[in-house]
Amino acid sequence: MRDDLKVGVFICECGGNISDTIDLDEVKDSLDVDFIGQFENLCSLNGRKIIRDAIFDHDLDRVVVAACSPISHEKTFQDYVKPLNPYFMDMANVREQCSWVHSDKKKATQKAITLINASIEKVKQSDAVDPIYCQTPDEVAVIGGGIAGMNAALSLAKQGTKVTLIEQSPSIGGHMAKIGKVFSPVKIAEECGMCLLNPILNELVWNENIEVITNAKVIEAERRSGTYNLIIEKSPRYVDVDRCIACGKCSEVCDIEVPNDWNDGLSMRKAIYRPFGQSYPEAYVIDMENCDKCGNCFRECNMKAIRLKSKPEKMLLQVGSIILATGHKLFDMDKRPEYGYDRYDDVITQSELGRITGVNGPTKGKLLKSNGEVPKRIVMIQCVGSRDEKPDGHRYCSRICCTVALKNANIIKHKYPDTDVLICYTDIRTPGMFEKYYKHTQENEVRFLRGRPGEVVKKGDNFIVRVEDTLKGEFAEIEADMVVLSTAMEPSHGTREIAEILNIGTTEDGFIKESHPKIKPVTTDVQGIFVCGTAQDPKDITESIMQATAAASKVSEYNYGGVEIEPFIAEIDREKCTLCGDCIGKCKYKSMSIQGDEVYIDPMSCTGCGKCLVACTQRAISVNGNIDEKIMATIKGVLSKKEDNQRMILVFLDNIGYTAADNIGVNRLSYPESIYIIKVHSVNRVGPHHIHYALENGADGVFIGEFPGDLMYDEVERKVDKVKNTIASLNQNPERLTFSKVYIPYFSGLARKFIDFDKKIEELNEIEL
Amino acid sequence: MTTQQKITDSPIDFAEDIIHDVKNSREEGVLKCVQCGMCTSTCPAARHSDYNPREIIERVLDGDLTIIEEDNIWNCFYCYTCHSVCPVGNSVCEVNQILKQLAINNEIAWDKIYEYLGFADSYFNAAIGAIPEIFFTQIDEDVPGWWEFRQNLADIRDELNLDPPLLPDDDVIDEVSLILTITGFKEKIEKIRDSQEDIK
Repeated sequence: MRDDLKVGVFICECGGNISDTIDLDEVKDSLDVDFIGQFENLCSLNGRKIIRDAIFDHDLDRVVVAACSPISHEKTFQDYVKPLNPYFMDMANVREQCSWVHSDKKKATQKAITLINASIEKVKQSDAVDPIYCQTPDEVAVIGGGIAGMNAALSLAKQGTKVTLIEQSPSIGGHMAKIGKVFSPVKIAEECGMCLLNPILNELVWNENIEVITNAKVIEAERRSGTYNLIIEKSPRYVDVDRCIACGKCSEVCDIEVPNDWNDGLSMRKAIYRPFGQSYPEAYVIDMENCDKCGNCFRECNMKAIRLKSKPEKMLLQVGSIILATGHKLFDMDKRPEYGYDRYDDVITQSELGRITGVNGPTKGKLLKSNGEVPKRIVMIQCVGSRDEKPDGHRYCSRICCTVALKNANIIKHKYPDTDVLICYTDIRTPGMFEKYYKHTQENEVRFLRGRPGEVVKKGDNFIVRVEDTLKGEFAEIEADMVVLSTAMEPSHGTREIAEILNIGTTEDGFIKESHPKIKPVTTDVQGIFVCGTAQDPKDITESIMQATAAASKVSEYNYGGVEIEPFIAEIDREKCTLCGDCIGKCKYKSMSIQGDEVYIDPMSCTGCGKCLVACTQRAISVNGNIDEKIMATIKGVLSKKEDNQRMILVFLDNIGYTAADNIGVNRLSYPESIYIIKVHSVNRVGPHHIHYALENGADGVFIGEFPGDLMYDEVERKVDKVKNTIASLNQNPERLTFSKVYIPYFSGLARKFIDFDKKIEELNEIEL
Repeated sequence: MTTQQKITDSPIDFAEDIIHDVKNSREEGVLKCVQCGMCTSTCPAARHSDYNPREIIERVLDGDLTIIEEDNIWNCFYCYTCHSVCPVGNSVCEVNQILKQLAINNEIAWDKIYEYLGFADSYFNAAIGAIPEIFFTQIDEDVPGWWEFRQNLADIRDELNLDPPLLPDDDVIDEVSLILTITGFKEKIEKIRDSQEDIK
């Protein structure tokens, strides 16, 4: 029987951190267990031998380590109790939640005894369970074939990983292919972007570990046990890539001309075309929306590569992890009519200017206005759609537009020194080495005006840009014959779509959200999915590549290390399960699905919250690890040590709340000794029967804390309200139960809440006496 | 010129007072101003006078209370362009109204509102805001044909089969006058009128 189990208690002095405040002799005298020992530093390597020897010598079944927080050393001691099951060990946190928060030695000692006793009762209820190791498939899908996706794919492929690169358009290359010239802050010179991109493109094409699928999109995704099943829809190219030799004869005989999107619509292309000179796959493609199926190309093609009757295909791709590199798009100028973009041909964007100045662009690199003349004065307007709280604007700074404007201004000045370039800015943002490039731009006689133009109007042959020179405090009307708008970067349609399909969190601006913006870059809210490039936020080429390689490295970590999962998850009794599916809809973490003829629970997403238990009329679901009994035993263990006139408040917290509570101790703040914190796997597992039992058997108050970011938050809040009502109907005071938000960084707030609740309970005790 | 900022000075208080004014609908907008000048670049008053909406916010953020003594704050005529173009969601137009009210409360620029007292009178006489007669000549100069149009308004409406304009009847006028008297509006405008007529 569980009561006959032999328990050993190992008390750590923590080099005085614990023993200076807590009288360990008194603790030892008060406990009735099969072994009890006191050690200076139990977590040191010789702790392993001490614990193992005691387990063998005293034939121990269970171990309690009274030391620091399990957040610090649970893993260490789970390892030290081998060959016992790791879950046959429990830690009584007598440091962060006792010696560090209390100064009254007598009370702290009393509390330590209670905490250890609760651990003893709890550990007796523990079942042997093993951590679940999940190994995910090695294959990776990279979604998006721009500079970020290409680099992520290459990095993984060079490490021996099979990668499928999925690109929506007919060619990989992304924005960088059309950017024209690029520069880096270290080199004070602009260089050919395509010349830098091409070697990467070639390397990628020749790498045997990479399969490139163009004209393709992920349209559905499902995850099972760490494997993603992606349904990919491949639009027809209408040209057989294996036969086409890209001779271009088809295009010559095609009669249809439409604006060339690769040149931002500044030139025309045929309905059968090659996106750009170095595009991959090296084959033509038919734009079927504009094709009139005249058959000229079909007849002209010697290679018999034209396939006018192709149909879209769907294919299944199974991968273990995914890298999102779905990129950005530029701000839609329809939203800012005051700058006249739609009305005037010579009001253009920086992207269009990049095409015009590109040698492979519509004017073969000549800077010309729509009438064929070289502009005399170009005014550039910064922050169009960025740093803009107006409707459809973006509050963020798009980060690269300052340097893009400087680059394009320099390119113009090199070739057309007589063209006056004036940049109207709010702030010039050129951090680090970019500042040197800013100075270089000033040396090139590019002019700057600090002020944000309100409108661009046409006056005669020229434009008038209305702006305040804010440094002079003067209203200015500047004549110009070309206006260039530095438009904001925003999430691409593909980025928004894939976030929805994969159920990944996005930021308020629609970019893919990282799971922690400070210390967990490139990881998303979903395990096994990583992000890089401008799908994550506005950034330049270098930063996109850095993020891409970081994402690739994270995938490798994931592939090599596997994933260890705590085993306290739901399990289905197949004998009892009738496949009604009621549990599936209840699961907030979407971890349940029907696979074949059984309900499948994904161990990687189940949190063991127990919500499904309630939904199951057949009582076919249980959560591993005897959680319910362990919570009850802990409550009993705490309350059994209650003395007359002692106030006891039970606080239930999950990992997040518990960490916040630890932080109170780490920062040496304090709260009343009446606070007893019980760590639970999921706050939802604290049931009404636990709360009723506690209040009926001596607990003066119950405090339940939950992190508002937890998917079960609303559920738990509702549940606590319900329990309050039942408490009231049982003629007890519902005020003795409280529910509160907890946040890891807001530990001082949590300490204050403990103090306030303790005071309230003290008052209630006096009133109800 | 050097401005001295003592350790006890708190220039931000002025902006805080404006934020908490009932006329301010843009919450913390004033504090978020980056002095980009977009308001000034679109402001008709700025184009035709020394009025500079960006500078208004600059001086408010500096805690410069003398701004309420400036003549040019009276050049804003509430077109709300600055309000609609501001990239940080500020409204100079509203701030301007708050400043003008502050000026009035401090008995500054009463001569500026003296010209407009006719509007106030029309609430007592007709229970609606109407253009005071003293402006008629000027309007006719600015908008040629306006006077003739106004003279013939009844005929024009008739021709277009429109009903005569709906005007409040005497009960309503009495009631509105009573409200304006009880709430102290009447006393206020009389005080302003007297002060200006005394000067004359």
